[in-house]
Amino acid sequence: MTSVNSRGGGAPLDAELLELLADPPTTEDARNRNAVLFAILDRPSISEEERRTAREELVANNLPLVEHCARRFRNRGEPFEDLVQVGTIGLIKAVDRFDIARGVEFSTYATPTIIGEIKRHFRDKGWAIRVPRRLQELRMQIASATAELTQTLGRSPTPREIAEAVGCSVEEIVEGIESSNAYATLSLDAGDDSEDGGQSMLDAIGVDDAGLAHVEIRESVKPLLESLPPREKKILLLRFFKNMTQSQIAAEIGVSQMHVSRLLSRTLEQLRTSLETDA
Amino acid sequence: MSESSATVRTLRARSDVELRLPADGAFASVLRTLTASLAARLDFTMDDIEDLRIAVSEAVAMVLAEADQGVDLVCEFRMNPGELTLRVATTSSSPTPPDYESFGWQVLTTLTSDARVEAVPGRYAVSLTLTSSIDPVAADGAGL
Repeated sequence: MTSVNSRGGGAPLDAELLELLADPPTTEDARNRNAVLFAILDRPSISEEERRTAREELVANNLPLVEHCARRFRNRGEPFEDLVQVGTIGLIKAVDRFDIARGVEFSTYATPTIIGEIKRHFRDKGWAIRVPRRLQELRMQIASATAELTQTLGRSPTPREIAEAVGCSVEEIVEGIESSNAYATLSLDAGDDSEDGGQSMLDAIGVDDAGLAHVEIRESVKPLLESLPPREKKILLLRFFKNMTQSQIAAEIGVSQMHVSRLLSRTLEQLRTSLETDA
Repeated sequence: MSESSATVRTLRARSDVELRLPADGAFASVLRTLTASLAARLDFTMDDIEDLRIAVSEAVAMVLAEADQGVDLVCEFRMNPGELTLRVATTSSSPTPPDYESFGWQVLTTLTSDARVEAVPGRYAVSLTLTSSIDPVAADGAGL
């Protein structure tokens, strides 16, 4: 389904939109609530019970801030939920360390802690993310060269053409492509072994798990595709596997292009929502 | 540049690669990686290589489903200019006949220029051929 997405271009746009639409993390309300809660925590006579409740509420109250921070690290290959999770650890630390006497906004204090925790996650995630810097840079060069060459050539470039554009050998390009696959793949399984260290076996075959994750996606899409009406199925096939344009499909099926467009977006929407509700 | 042409020529002269690995999904990526790097040397485009990866995954998924316990996958590659043929075979005592209606098979046949299944008692194999979407000779000329 990955290739469908990259060709259809649906998913990345959604992510960007979400980002744009994201509310500012700290509203006036939340800010006041923070102040009240921290004032409670600051009371010398506070009971253990009260302390715990206030602390929990503070954490819950500021979760949107974590989500906001985590969103900045989207599209880097780590699942958003994982980022929220490590970011929340940062938030808890910030709640525990925050000193109301310093006179700064809690969000001002907490943001660097949360982002620090997320960055640490990327760094400590070990070999999954620690692709050598040389390869990381190569990956970016490959991405931009690919985009440029696709424009000038009017088709997808070969690794050799990319090698010439970037100024390195084909071997290095192959290596670079692999590393970018490893980047995306490894992070997919990163969620599985976050808690228990005993799963080093899983760690060791992490690269392969990426493939398995694909299988899973494919398996979930499979029944959905099969349950589509024959015409919708055919349109999807023509569009994404035969790479036909909507007008070509329209001619083939014998309906208008507008109709194909409508059917296509409706079908994709259906698939997307049923996938999401399943997950 | 001349170096990579030389690599391609060497490959053309000796055009077979064989890989044997455990019939275990964990090794699928090894096969995908090898396939991708062979295709890169045959002047497949990035899109072709992506298609190839998907096709290999499908083929492996089909073959693994039929493999006996603890056997190997034998993968043979034949390389021609702008064309890569891959056969993934395994030991399968009683293979089920291929389901040509399955989604996996649909994907496989749309991505490849040729795909076939061999299912006889004792052996299950999927062969697929992909061609580069550009003319290798023309690309050679452009490259030089």
